[in-house]
Amino acid sequence: MEKKLAMVIDSFACIDCKACQAACKEANKIPVGKWRNWIKSPDVEAAARKGGRMLFQPGNCMQCEKPTCVEACPTGATYKDASDGTVKINRELCIGCGQCLPACPYGARYRHPELRVADKCDFCAERRAAGLEPACVSTCPNKARVFGDLNDSRSDVRQLLKKGNFVQVVNKESNTDPHIYYLGDPGVKDWPVKAQMPSAFAFWKNMAGPAMKAFVGLSAVGVGAMLVKQFIMPNDAPEDKDKGGDEHE
Amino acid sequence: MNSKIDLNMSRRNFLKLSGAAALAAAGGSGNLLGVQGASAAVKPGDFESKFGVCDMCFNKCSMIARVRDGIVEKLDPNPKFHKSRGMLCARGNAGIRQLYDPDRLKTPLLRKGARGEGKWQRLTWDQALDHAAEQLNRIAEKYSRCGVVFMAGADMQSLFVHRFAEAFGSYNALSHESMCLIAGTRGFLDTFGEVPIPDMRYTKYVVMCGANRFEALVTPDSMDLMTAMKEGTKLVVMDPRYTKTAAMADEYHAIRPHTDMALMLAFAHVLVFEGLYDKDFVQNRCFGLEQLKEHVRDNTPEWAEKETEIPAGDIRRIARELAAAAPRAMIYPGRRSSNYTDSSQIRRAFAIVNALLGNWDRPGGLTAARKVGLKSPHIEAPFYENNPEDRIDAGVAKLMFDEEGSFKIARDAVIAQKPYPVKGFFTYKTNPAQTAANREKTLKMYEQLDFALSMDITMSDTAWLADLVLPSQCALERTDPCSAQQGSSACACVVMRDPVVSKPMFESKSALWVVSELAKRMDLGEYFDFTVDGFREEQLDGLPGALEALQGDGVYYNPSKLYGVYDGRIFKTKSHKIELYNERYKELGVDPMPVYHKPKEVPPLKFRMVVGRSAVVTQSSSQNNSLLQEFVSDNNLWIHPDPAGKLGIAHGDRVRVDSPVGTQKLEANVTYKTRPDTVYMLTGFGVLSQDLRNLKGKGACIAEVIEDEMDTLTGNMAMHETIVTVRKEAA
Repeated sequence: MEKKLAMVIDSFACIDCKACQAACKEANKIPVGKWRNWIKSPDVEAAARKGGRMLFQPGNCMQCEKPTCVEACPTGATYKDASDGTVKINRELCIGCGQCLPACPYGARYRHPELRVADKCDFCAERRAAGLEPACVSTCPNKARVFGDLNDSRSDVRQLLKKGNFVQVVNKESNTDPHIYYLGDPGVKDWPVKAQMPSAFAFWKNMAGPAMKAFVGLSAVGVGAMLVKQFIMPNDAPEDKDKGGDEHE
Repeated sequence: MNSKIDLNMSRRNFLKLSGAAALAAAGGSGNLLGVQGASAAVKPGDFESKFGVCDMCFNKCSMIARVRDGIVEKLDPNPKFHKSRGMLCARGNAGIRQLYDPDRLKTPLLRKGARGEGKWQRLTWDQALDHAAEQLNRIAEKYSRCGVVFMAGADMQSLFVHRFAEAFGSYNALSHESMCLIAGTRGFLDTFGEVPIPDMRYTKYVVMCGANRFEALVTPDSMDLMTAMKEGTKLVVMDPRYTKTAAMADEYHAIRPHTDMALMLAFAHVLVFEGLYDKDFVQNRCFGLEQLKEHVRDNTPEWAEKETEIPAGDIRRIARELAAAAPRAMIYPGRRSSNYTDSSQIRRAFAIVNALLGNWDRPGGLTAARKVGLKSPHIEAPFYENNPEDRIDAGVAKLMFDEEGSFKIARDAVIAQKPYPVKGFFTYKTNPAQTAANREKTLKMYEQLDFALSMDITMSDTAWLADLVLPSQCALERTDPCSAQQGSSACACVVMRDPVVSKPMFESKSALWVVSELAKRMDLGEYFDFTVDGFREEQLDGLPGALEALQGDGVYYNPSKLYGVYDGRIFKTKSHKIELYNERYKELGVDPMPVYHKPKEVPPLKFRMVVGRSAVVTQSSSQNNSLLQEFVSDNNLWIHPDPAGKLGIAHGDRVRVDSPVGTQKLEANVTYKTRPDTVYMLTGFGVLSQDLRNLKGKGACIAEVIEDEMDTLTGNMAMHETIVTVRKEAA
């Protein structure tokens, strides 16, 4: 059976310790200053003034059901893998044009400075092939990140989602149906931006046969049935510049 | 795909699974979680998995190194290691960068220029060891063997440095603890007769003062607390700073610094006078209730409000909530307690409130240390006639731990060369030049030294000041003795460190090799006539199956009773009970119960400086790490917007911090995360060393501005007793 890989994240349990980001860097040899994953922080100063509870929000590429990055890719390098539901980048086909970067509402992609291709989280494909969990998941001190197959009724992610109290964090105008689900309150909600699609899209769309095929073939499986409650954001939030580093303390 | 191994699986099954069966179960081509034995065939390009023990902080987490073609590519947590709850933090992940750090010390180095000038001559190991042996012997002959002070960090080979000190004949061996936790150790030891391990996993209510467990990660406490909180446990945090722990709390109070004891006495007042304490427990197991009642009679929540700035109503309510949740409730004991001149007594007040809650030896309370059964091989130290009577730091702090010493007192004694001359300083992986308050005094101490030797992985500030620097191995290169760990409900356990790489980087050597080679040159070879393997055998004697468990699982558990250990057993105190009132203290002229003294007044627009921790920084040892640098590359001064405004300081301005002992300049972080009367900066920046290329020139050094006050009972450095001024630097 085909898989639909996903993450369920518990923002309540995240202490912003950066273990997931460090593990990802090492596992995937991410260059200095670039990140495949992040921990979003709410307004610390506002929280400090109130002295209230903060919710940090770990994240990474959401392996969306309707990925705008796939649409934006002119060469078919970025595609939705039907076998496991992840969004992949074929480095052989990627021309490094960068159109997929603004097409992602989550800023999950960066251009790899040495390889000159787009790069992003692939749920640690190489580790999974070796029988290991994604690095961020296995290393997390409080197990705030849970990983698994939505098509497997016994998986931890399915068990967690069964409880029903989860949300997706999306931008109203670019709801890509992300496959990262947050248990309860995800903390920061107003950050995904509207996907910026390339202007020459119509032209490239016709050129990108294989990618589009993969995209169409994968719509609306499984998740739709799970009564997803969504946070729809009214406006585009500015891109979070502070994805990787903490405030320097 | 989401492959998890049942942690309760028996070891035998795990061993079976860790071979080919695991591969099949995982459906992958590599190894699952188990680690291949030495004999397992590894195809080129595949990775091998080997157990290691992390050394990026003191927690010693078991981990699995993924090694491809001899290169360590990834460090993963060992899911069988319950104490870490199967995690590896950011620093643990960054351990690879320590191994391959281009800034590592590569060869022995002999100082050529002035001390701290950074001019070095490379030596061969033979030259370096001959020189060191000659220098140590010279000091022993000219002064005495106690004329060399030894100091080693929290490392699995530090015991060999201490053994060398014993064999050499110096009583002056210091640990890092007098700059860390000994005040807390004293306070709890002198109440319960031992230092308890908090059972965070099953507690329902935690008051955390003087601790920051979601940034200063301690296993399993940090993880267990969050797990308990997911199940509804309430966390109340008191801290002058809005730390990440405060940010996780159900309730947070920005307590006035140095008033924790007032809060505890008020808790005790409410518990005693409202009759909320565990009456059976206190009557049967505690000594001194009547004295305590008199002692805290006036310590009402209203009184404490004036001291702590926490509303009396909240103090009373929290005390009642603690009592309602007891015995699954606690005042968290904490770890680093190098804060105030009376930190031992502050922590004793913590201990007393815990005693009133009756949480001792019960689920969700404070549990007793458990026997793992690891033996401690020791030597019969030789007797040297011309040695002085006592340690250099003796007789100053009434309740100093002789086995740990006091760096603060020892440094004063070396500067004064009294009661006797000290001319040598031998350090291993510890960095007082960066972490000990009042760096000017540390530099003065060095002026008195004829010979300073420093073994470390990189050129720390302490190495920078040394005469002879020896390159040490890092955790992934070493064969280390076994180490016992306490883990409350995670079970007491043993870990053992074997190398992950086939050969160490550069010319680095283990501490054991260095002291053994020195011993040979100094006619002390008989004390180092062993290998690490032989040493481990002695340690594990009487623990059948332990070695196999360590090799197969990376950890050995020796399950023992967790709760009810003290049923029918006396406490190791004078009264054989938990001492609310400590008669031994009385006899020594020490307050038998914690007496509150008002903290220093902080004048308007001046500040108390406090220090603290981050989850991506370990004291002063990790800041140069190229991965951790991406999270924290610099430090800055936390200052509240109100005083900053009055002083004309804007966020990002460069400011000058002046204290009675020094000046530092750094960037201002204008933030509500600290009280208006308190400023803070992170440890480990403003380095002297010019050989830490990612770090030099960055930030400011706490040791430059903090005064070297101490906890008067233990000699623990008191890092929060300094009042500073802050000014904007002219542009």
